[in-house]
Parts: sequence; structure tokens; C-alpha cells
Amino acid sequence: MTHTQIPRISGVLRSPITFSVLAGLVIGALFLVGTGADPFTAYGAVLTGSLGADGIGSTLSTGTSVLGMALALAIPLRAGLINLGGDGQMVLGGITAAVTGLYSPLPAPLTVALALLAGMAAGAAYAALAALCENSLGVPLLVSSLLLSYPAVSLASYLARYPLKEPGSSLPQTRAMPNGVALPAFGDSTVTIGLLLVVLAAATYWFTDKRTAFGYEIRMTGLNSRFAAYAGVERRGLTLKLMSVSGALAGLVGAIGVLSFPYRFVDGSLTAPGYTWTGLTAALLAAAAPLGTVVASFFFAVLAVGGLAMERTTEVPRELTQVLQAIVIVFLAARLRFPSGWFRRRSQATSQESPQEIGAA
Amino acid sequence: MTRPPVDPTVELRGITKRFPGTLANDAVDLTVHRGEIHALMGENGAGKSTLMSILYGMERADAGSIRIDGREVTFGDPSAAMAAGLGMVHQSFKLFDSLTVAENVVYAAEPRRFGLLDRAAARRRVRELAEEHGLAVDPDARVGDLPVGLRQRVEILKLLHRGARTLILDEPTAVLTPAEADALFAVLKSLAAQGRTVILVTHKLREVLEGSDKVTVLRDGRVVARLVTADTSADEIAAAMTGRAVDLDRVHAPGTPGDAVLEVTSLTTDAVHDVGLTVHAGEIVGIAGVAGNGQSELVEALAGLRPVTAGQVTLKGRDITHVSATERRAQGLAYVPEDRHAVGTAPAASVADNLAMGHHRTSLSAKGLLPPATVRTHAGRLIERFGIKAATPEVPASALSGGNLQKLLIGRELAHEAPLLLVEQPTRGVDIGAIQNIHDQIVAYRDAGHAVLLVSAELSEIRGLADRVLVMYEGRVTATYTKDEADEQALGLAMAGGAVAPTEAVD
Ligand SMILES: Nc1ncnc2c1ncn2[C@@H]1O[C@H](COP(=O)(O)OP(=O)(O)O)[C@@H](O)[C@H]1O
Ligand SMILES: [Mg+2]
Repeated sequence: MTHTQIPRISGVLRSPITFSVLAGLVIGALFLVGTGADPFTAYGAVLTGSLGADGIGSTLSTGTSVLGMALALAIPLRAGLINLGGDGQMVLGGITAAVTGLYSPLPAPLTVALALLAGMAAGAAYAALAALCENSLGVPLLVSSLLLSYPAVSLASYLARYPLKEPGSSLPQTRAMPNGVALPAFGDSTVTIGLLLVVLAAATYWFTDKRTAFGYEIRMTGLNSRFAAYAGVERRGLTLKLMSVSGALAGLVGAIGVLSFPYRFVDGSLTAPGYTWTGLTAALLAAAAPLGTVVASFFFAVLAVGGLAMERTTEVPRELTQVLQAIVIVFLAARLRFPSGWFRRRSQATSQESPQEIGAA
Repeated sequence: MTRPPVDPTVELRGITKRFPGTLANDAVDLTVHRGEIHALMGENGAGKSTLMSILYGMERADAGSIRIDGREVTFGDPSAAMAAGLGMVHQSFKLFDSLTVAENVVYAAEPRRFGLLDRAAARRRVRELAEEHGLAVDPDARVGDLPVGLRQRVEILKLLHRGARTLILDEPTAVLTPAEADALFAVLKSLAAQGRTVILVTHKLREVLEGSDKVTVLRDGRVVARLVTADTSADEIAAAMTGRAVDLDRVHAPGTPGDAVLEVTSLTTDAVHDVGLTVHAGEIVGIAGVAGNGQSELVEALAGLRPVTAGQVTLKGRDITHVSATERRAQGLAYVPEDRHAVGTAPAASVADNLAMGHHRTSLSAKGLLPPATVRTHAGRLIERFGIKAATPEVPASALSGGNLQKLLIGRELAHEAPLLLVEQPTRGVDIGAIQNIHDQIVAYRDAGHAVLLVSAELSEIRGLADRVLVMYEGRVTATYTKDEADEQALGLAMAGGAVAPTEAVD
């Protein structure tokens, strides 16, 4: 450990993020003890259930959606913008991909690519609409994105229940994709190359954030929008671009959902797992920083998948993991952190950096 | 102004405070006697605010002791310091705008009747205090409606109401007009005459010479001079602060104006009416005026941050009246805004990131890439060239002192080498050493053939730098002076609205 690493590590330890996560785990443990369960067994079950041989595939495919949505929310958040319309954009992306998959005359591999692109385009266009509402009508983005979400979800639901409904099925779902119209999976797992696409998106975000003029403008807007505007960063244009990218990613998550098991659009199946909210939580936890968003997404995927396993192997209901998630957010919102004495004195120097990261939220 | 010596009321001994990378206070001793107005002076970053924060219980010293009225104390927080008779007026006021003067004054120490705030008593109390100390202010006025000078009175009344015997004022005149500052000093003198003690943190020599009894000068965290005001001079104090001889009221040699760079005709926008002016290459045009007479709005309109209602603006002959801020910069405009924290920088971002703004799409970037190493190198260059004191380019800009933040801002904008520089209040809250440096930079920039439009509320700054002076009053240019005509008296009168008739505004 070199000289400069010590304060950095203690800075990380003292950051509100560490505090929130640990506080969540401790309070969760207290709940468990209160209900008569053994916290070590329960947490052990979460870990083995999500990271063991049986769970890791599930964790990675859940992680694909969580990370995709987390990126969709983190990218505008980096500039201080909050996209609350992830559900609508994701579902539109899904239904558009389904329509493309079902009706494209192209060969299967091209159809898959086209369906992904169409899903992204639909999500992007819809998110851009929310941005336009703010830019030209003055409706705050928070409101416009959220309100636009509902009609999109309803439209997709209508399409899946009526015009596109699978004949003879009692479920509100479209027909299955034609043979071969599916994302290639790794081995016989449920993990598809969708994971690679989302990881590629994360890498692109990291690169843009760290090494491009555009990423710089986004960060500065998030830290002080008046400063960015003073130097000529055009706010409306930025909002439109970031929302389009955000919507495209949400649409991609929807399209991936349709192009992997069960290879069709099932009404409610994209929104029910709450990827949008989990993604928002992960983005907030990481203050929209690229690497942090990836780590936080993985953490929440572990909680979600491990929670199910815990429910199976112990008496503890999986809602506990949702409680954990909520506690983490509440603590984070309160910006609590360990007092400076706890992990070695004089760590103020580097802890200066974490408020900056958090500031974007 | 000498008074009989009395026991010290505030004694700081060997106060040492280290921040990561900086020794902010290095074994500082400060002794202040009862009934004294004691000026604490020093350049930005000298450690004045740190010392006062320690005294007031907001920071904890690494070493040293504090005695108040002979008793050793340790304050865990400001309320403990208040209980010991200290009171502090911060540079940014801590008042509730929507409450009345009386409510603000008694806040947290309210007279009560049947458990409720006794408004009548509060009002009476404020009247008494105001009368006793010559701090006239209407107890029923809403604080949000008051001018800055009166808000400061409310702050002082608040301290007096809580029985403060020692008042600490951090840069109290930074926001005041000359007349308001004079009024403040009259009040401080009468408080001192009643046996209260005043510690005045400031960098303004004139005030210190006129209004204080003793001076303690800090430099780089150490006490470098303890002076009796009556026996010292502005030059001596300035030399102690900067560690070298400084020529104070320096008037720079005039420039040699060339072609017109900025031409403004009949410009009208919020709070600005029908303003016309021209700035030539190699010329500094100064706009004098008390804050709030439309100068900020004018400059914002010129910078493209405020829409123009009527009139025309041309830059090097090209019409930029309705062009975006980015486009204006591309055409050759740089801008140092008045508000360093809210507009001119992102305090939470690193020094390097702050220095990159505006350069990030031009000199620092190729094909949209902005390599961190380039940003760092650029920052290192400007830090060196403009003498910005920052531990590393990675520290957040919020860790810089006011003067250093201003150097950062000015350095960044000068580095554009734009034909036109708009600069607002370049040395507000900045100390002598830095002021001189900043003035030199602006003059050198003009001498390199650039046009400069300077807005300042400091008369000495306008007189020292500007080749021509316009006075703004209530949104209009009410007077124009050449460098020779612009004496303090004429400008002061025009700034107060006393210009006889607007002279020809457009030359
Ligand atoms: N909270 C802090 N963290 C790190 N450095 C600080 C902090 N506060 C002040 N400093 C540093 O201590 C030195 C003294 O600062 P300050 O007391 O504010 O000076 P002054 O009030 O005389 O301008 C400066 O170098 C400043 O950067
Ligand atoms: Mg200070």
C-alpha cells in the first residue's frame, strides 16, 4: 500500500456510500434477529444463491437489465437531470422490438440487429419528447418524463392484449419471435450477448465521462449548471441529447428483454421486476459515476437474485432485500457518513472528493 | 485615538492549525484589549478566517490556547463562544429574508410572554438598541427589502441583543458603498467607546487607517507585524502583508487605442436603458457605479446570457446582438463574471476542471477528446503563470481562498487571448498583493492590443486602470470622463446620481 493510497482508502471507507450500505446490512440484520432468523444464514443464503453456480447466470441476466436501466438514469443524472420515465421508454423499446421481430422480412440475424436498433430508437424518441416538453413548454423534466411514461405503458399493454396478441393464448402476450430471432446466449444459460451490449454501453459512458469534451460539459453542468451555461454549454441541447441517450438505453433493455427468454413481449413482464427503480437507486448510490454505477448495479442484482434464494432456503421473505435497498437509499439521502476519527485521522483531504461525486445527485 | 491600556479581553496564544497541505495558522498570538478596534489583516489565504473560526468555536485548533477576560476557554461550537460574550458577523449574512428586522434580531433569544414571542417587546428592544448605538433601522421592515448596509446593521443588532461584548466582523465592508462603510465605522467607534471590543477582519487599508486602533498582520499563517495604527502607514501595512514594497494608488499609464472592437448602440434590456459605448483595441473602458445600477445586466447582455430588448451590439464589426454565448466566445469574447462562486466556477469541481472551461473544445481538445493529462498540463501552466496557490490541480476549487479563486478565473479567461475581455469586479474581496497582480495582468492584456470593458464599484480601481470612464446610474450611462477628468470627487458625485446632465455617451 503506497503512501497516497491510505487516505484514499479511508476516504472510501468514510464515504456516505459505505456508510449507507453497511447501515442497511446492520439494520437488516437487526430485523432478522428480531424475527428470530439468523442473519448470517440469511446473508449467506443471499450470497450463495446469487453468486453460486446455480445463481450466477440469473444474477448476470438480471444484472443486464439493472445495469442497462442504471446507465439510462445515470447518464442524465450526471448533468443533474432526472429521467423518471424509464418504464415507458423501456416498454416502448420492448414492444417496438417485438413488432420488428415479428414482421421484419430480413434474415434472422439482421432482424435481431434491426429489432435492437428499433427498440433503442423508440425509447430515444420517447425520452426526447419529455426533453422537448421541458425545453419548449417549460414542463419540468421530472414531471414530463414521469407523466409520459404511463400512456406508453398502456399503449404497449393494449398492443399485447389486442392487435398483437398470440391467438389462442390466455396470457396478454405477443406471438413468440420467429425461429432464430433471439439474442445468442452463453452456453445454455439465460445470459445473452445483451450483457455485452450493456457492458459496452457502460464502457462508452466511462470513456465519454473521463476523456471527452462532451463528458466534461456533462459533469460541469451537474456540478454547477450556471457555470456551464456561462461558458456557453447550451442547456436545452444537452438535455435533449442526454435524454435521447437515456431513452435509447431504456429501449435497449426492453428490446433485450423481448429478444431473450421468453422471446416475446409479455405485458407487465418488463416493468414488474422494477428495473427502473432499482436502476435509479444504483445510479443515485453511485452519484452517476460510471464505474460506481456498474458496481452498484451488480450489488442490487445480487440482492434481487439472492433474495429469492434466501426465501427458498430460509424462512426469510425476499422482501427483506427490498427493505435493505430502501434503507440504503434513506441513509444515502441523509448523507450520513462515519465520523472522521473512525478510520485514521486526517482523511479530510481525500474525502473532499466524494462530495463532488455525490454533488451530481 | 489612544485609550488607557486595560487587561486583554481576548488572548490567543500559539494557535496552530494545519489543513492537509497547508499550515493555516502557525503559532499565532493575538491580544485584543477591551474597547479596542483591532484590525486583523493579511492577504487571502493568510489564515485570518481560520483564526477567527477557531476563536468562534467553528474550528478546533491543533495547538494553542484561548483566554477570554483572563479565563482559559475551549469552545466546542459557536453557541459556547456566544455565551462567553463573543459575536461574529459573517461575510455572508445569516438572516431570514422573509422575517422582519425585529424578528431577526431576537431570533433564538426571544422575549416571551405566555410562552409566545412578545412582538411588542421585541420591537421595543430593537428600538432601544438601535437608538443607543446609532444603528437606525425600522424594526418592522422585512429584511429581504433592506439594502445590504442595513442588513449588516441587523446582524450587529442581533449580536448586541445577545449581549456580545466582543464583535468579530469578517470583511464587513466588502459589500458596502463608501458612504455605508463610513456609517459602519462610526457605529463601531461608538461601540468601542462604550467599552465593547471589535475585531475587524479586512484587507482595506484606508478603513484600517481611519477606523482602527491596532493592527495585527498575518502572512502565510504567521504574525508578521503588530502595529499601532496611529504610528503606522498604509505602505508599512501593505509591505507587511505582501512581504515586499507595494505601490498602492498606482495609476497605470494610458493605452494606445486602435480600432473599435466592441460597439454598443442604444442597448436596452432588464434594468438597462439605451446604453451606448465603444471599446477600442488597446483600451480599458471603465464602468463605475454603485452595485445594482444595471452594470451586471449590461455585461450579461454583452456576454450573451441575457436577451437584448432593443439596440445593437457588434464585435469587430460583426453583429452579435442575438448570438449565443458560445458563438460570442468563438468570435472573440472572454468574460470574468462578478459572482465567482455561482457563475464563474464550479466550486465542487477540481481546480484543473475549472481552468479547462471554455478551452475544453478549443485548445485542449482534438476530435472531441479531452485527455485528463492535457487538462492537468493546462492547469499546471495557468497555476504557474498566474501564481494561483493550490495544493494540487486536483483539489476542489472550493478549497481556494477568494483571491486565488479570482486569479484562477481571470487567468482562465485571459488565456483565451480574446480580442474583447469583459471583467466585472475583478478584485472584490481580494487582497493587495493579489490586486496588484490582477491589475498588472489586465493592463498587460490591454497593452497586448486587446479591448477591455471593466466594471467596478471601486473608484481607485477604475481610476488606476481605465482609459475612459463611464458612470452608470439607474440603468443609464449618465457621465463619461477621460482618464484625466475622472477624479474621485466627480465620479463619486456621478455614482450617487449627481451628474448634472448626461454627457455625450457615444464617443
Ligand atoms: N477547510 C479547509 N480545508 C483545507 N484548507 C483550508 C480550509 N480552510 C482554509 N484552508 C486553507 O488555509 C489557508 C488559510 O485560509 P483562510 O483562513 O481562509 O485565509 P484568509 O481568511 O486569511 O483568506 C489557505 O491556504 C486555505 O486554502
Ligand atoms: Mg477569509
